[in-house]
Amino acid sequence: MNAPDFAFSAGRFGSGQAVRRIEDPALVQGQGRFTDDVAPAGQVFVRFVRSSVAHGTLNSVDTAAALAMPGVLAVYTGADLLAAGVKPLPPAAGFKRPDGQPMSTPPKHALAVGMVRFVGEPVAAVVASSRQAARAAADAVGVDIEPLPSVSGALQATAAGAVQVWDGAPGNVLAEARHGDAAATEAAFAAAAHRVQLDLVNQRLAPSTMEPRAVLAHVEGGRLTVRLSSQMPTGVRGGLAATLPGQTTESIRVLVGDVGGGFGMKTALYPEDVVVAFAALQLQRPVKWQAERLEDFLTAVHGRDLLSRAEMALDASGKVLALRIRSLANVGAYPTGAGVAIQLLIGPWVTTSIYDIQTIDLQISAVLTHTAATGAYRGAGRPEAIYTLERLMDAAARELQLDPAELRRRNMIRPAQMPYRNPMAQTYDSGQFERILDQGLALADWNGFAARREASRAAGKLRGRGIATFLEWTGGNALEEHVKVRITADAKGQGWVELTSATMGMGQGIATSYAQLAVEVFGVPIERIRILQGDTDMANGFGSAGSRSLFTGGAAVRVASQSAVDAAKDLAALALEAPAADLEYNAGRFSVVGTDLGIDLFDLAGKQAGAVITAAGSAKASAPSWPNACHICEVEVDAATGALEIVAYASVNDIGRVVSPTIVRGQIEGGAVQGIGQALCERIAYDPESGQLLSASYMDYALPHADGFRGFKTVFDQSVPCLTNSLGAKGVGELGTIGATPAVVNAVVDALAHGLDGHGLGRAAEQLQMPLTGETVWRGLQRDFGPAVMR
Amino acid sequence: MPVIDFQINGRATSADIEPATLLVDLLRGPLGLTGTHQGCDTAQCGCCTVLLDGHSVKACSVLAVQAAGRSVTTVEGLARPDGALHPVQEAFIACHGLQCGFCTPGMMMSATCLLQHNPQPSDAEIAHALEGNLCRCTGYVNIVAAVRQAAQVMSRKETA
Repeated sequence: MNAPDFAFSAGRFGSGQAVRRIEDPALVQGQGRFTDDVAPAGQVFVRFVRSSVAHGTLNSVDTAAALAMPGVLAVYTGADLLAAGVKPLPPAAGFKRPDGQPMSTPPKHALAVGMVRFVGEPVAAVVASSRQAARAAADAVGVDIEPLPSVSGALQATAAGAVQVWDGAPGNVLAEARHGDAAATEAAFAAAAHRVQLDLVNQRLAPSTMEPRAVLAHVEGGRLTVRLSSQMPTGVRGGLAATLPGQTTESIRVLVGDVGGGFGMKTALYPEDVVVAFAALQLQRPVKWQAERLEDFLTAVHGRDLLSRAEMALDASGKVLALRIRSLANVGAYPTGAGVAIQLLIGPWVTTSIYDIQTIDLQISAVLTHTAATGAYRGAGRPEAIYTLERLMDAAARELQLDPAELRRRNMIRPAQMPYRNPMAQTYDSGQFERILDQGLALADWNGFAARREASRAAGKLRGRGIATFLEWTGGNALEEHVKVRITADAKGQGWVELTSATMGMGQGIATSYAQLAVEVFGVPIERIRILQGDTDMANGFGSAGSRSLFTGGAAVRVASQSAVDAAKDLAALALEAPAADLEYNAGRFSVVGTDLGIDLFDLAGKQAGAVITAAGSAKASAPSWPNACHICEVEVDAATGALEIVAYASVNDIGRVVSPTIVRGQIEGGAVQGIGQALCERIAYDPESGQLLSASYMDYALPHADGFRGFKTVFDQSVPCLTNSLGAKGVGELGTIGATPAVVNAVVDALAHGLDGHGLGRAAEQLQMPLTGETVWRGLQRDFGPAVMR
Repeated sequence: MPVIDFQINGRATSADIEPATLLVDLLRGPLGLTGTHQGCDTAQCGCCTVLLDGHSVKACSVLAVQAAGRSVTTVEGLARPDGALHPVQEAFIACHGLQCGFCTPGMMMSATCLLQHNPQPSDAEIAHALEGNLCRCTGYVNIVAAVRQAAQVMSRKETA
């Protein structure tokens, strides 16, 4: 270490600077530590036997042949787990059925008991000394299932006479939420000059973390230790304690290393986690399960899956008077708490977005089907709500023959209305939506569109333009974080600042952002900062989800770091035999003001008992943050084939304070590509007759590839800090995903509505449904928009 | 079980394996080279991409015995023996070409193969060469930028 490094470090590596991520050197050298990379001596492997039918009576599971096979240590069934006292996974709760009774879900046994309710449901688990042996033995497990009729779509499941998934959900309606004022909405619609209505499919998606789920459990020092790929280690620990007999949160340690993508999919406790932990306790050996991709498609949570009939009432000037939305949310057979709350509550929180709309009537039904559960997936409810509203805005603009940006402008909440309480009782602290719109229009050269459309027409292409102006809710309503600090020095005087947090890295680079914030306080080089996460023996909390980690955990990093410097100052005063008031701290060194007397921070740590200085600190945001943005997309459509190409994408994003600009840009643009994936190519499809998953590999489920659109123009506006957290930051993890889907779809609808010569499909184009594959667009051009979405 | 001799990251080695062993399982298991990842079952994701005699292959689709007498390079073999990172590794860091890092080893091996055969690819050629590698985090924007930067650095070194 030398002094000049210290002096410049805050300037070069602190908040707001583009830095090299501290995560990267290991990852680019193949030295990451993902769950399956950890291979303790004597580890054995689990292979699950899964239901091959969507619905059926589980008559018997014959394990005798499998148990006799070489290398097999155990075969478990649902009955075995029940007999051993393993409880079902914690059920979804908190909402009511239409008849007012609390909702009721089928018990989610880690291995099926009595019935199977979706293809892929785990029925038995084989543990063997090698993956090959486990696979061979799993094939030898005899599963006798009497198949029953099944239903996989929410519309079909709510039809009269539909097969029932669960007796506790009559008509397959698990729960229903009503929000707003139905009578006032009805009156507003009756008096409105204009009304528009759209039926919309927000199709089911596979989150598709590139690292599939993985779990490794073993008993260490008498304690159950579970290493897995998770965004929420503490939640997993609690779920395991609630499920496994004789276990408590104290008796379990959950470890998480590198996580190969999360996107919300790795927030839940999964049945497989319970089985692996159970096997480790039974066998007293390290037990591992690495999901195959097929297993993630089958049984990891899916996202979205919402059908809506959405209506908007407007006055003659284009002011929105009211919104009325009826939705069916397909939540699968064994719904997750998140999957239900996302559709019944979280999405509705942003249903009026950045517009001054106070009159709403929402009715959302959570519907059971014979499919995998839905859960959190990037955006989680906000993409559905914003897509619905932004599609309506474009439909209304067409109805009123107004520029779609102008219609939006007329309805935006003004800065003078802040803080603004929306009809879902959510309060926005800040936002200058019209100013963001104006910047977006300029960045996208909104007014130059006619010439570009004409140029496309000359080349035989339909050009369309789509806009989405929106906000989103971030923070997961888990707004407090705690950070522990250890300043240590080794015998050679080499020192580190270690910060421990219960939030989780999952690729978003949160460790680097935390390190930058710490550098600002400590003034030491970023190489001296270590961020420790993923150990429930060290830290516990909500984990990382809902774009919360920076504005909660980052705020706590600052508080804890300052607390550590303050604690060190008192120790420095003792060491220097000077009053603390006479000391100043700068760039890793305490000095007595006006003298050349001083001591380096790490030298000071080295002089303490145990060569360590410890401190801690907490921070609590007083409310969620509300990032907002204007995203504008242009597409070209080949009228002969329906093939479409995104040709321009501009976005201006009000995200408050930016700590790591490069990381933020990566979040917004990478997130936008996920949103584009929903708009153009991704769809989880179940066969309506058999309930078989048709999109069960990357040959059938289309993810965006490298040859897609990459030419983003992305601007951050940092001039409107969030007022409810001490960093002033607004969450950015999901913003791009939320904006991209409606911006892209609106552009395609615009292209088809306008046609080559202004005489295209007109408002009929609004019947287009995602994903807008070439075939879907071509069919749309032939006025074939597929089956009815809603009854 | 057959014993095969081959080169792994420049070192001669041999392995005693079941005939049906996939190259990816040999690498990740007995050889402990866990930088090569497996993200799917159908050779779509490209996370397991390695070089076999300098050509990119998906190690989930190659039998380990097919490596007999040949040279395998994994992500662990990209950096120089003195620890200096390969220009592709440097560029992925510099351009923020990775987020979670799970696809990154395969992505870099595909990029390395491309640059060996086409030292100055266009962006379209880069994107085409990476079509067999999936990334869910970055949107590919910075991955293509990283490969472009690596090509520039490597061609400068060539001419220097």
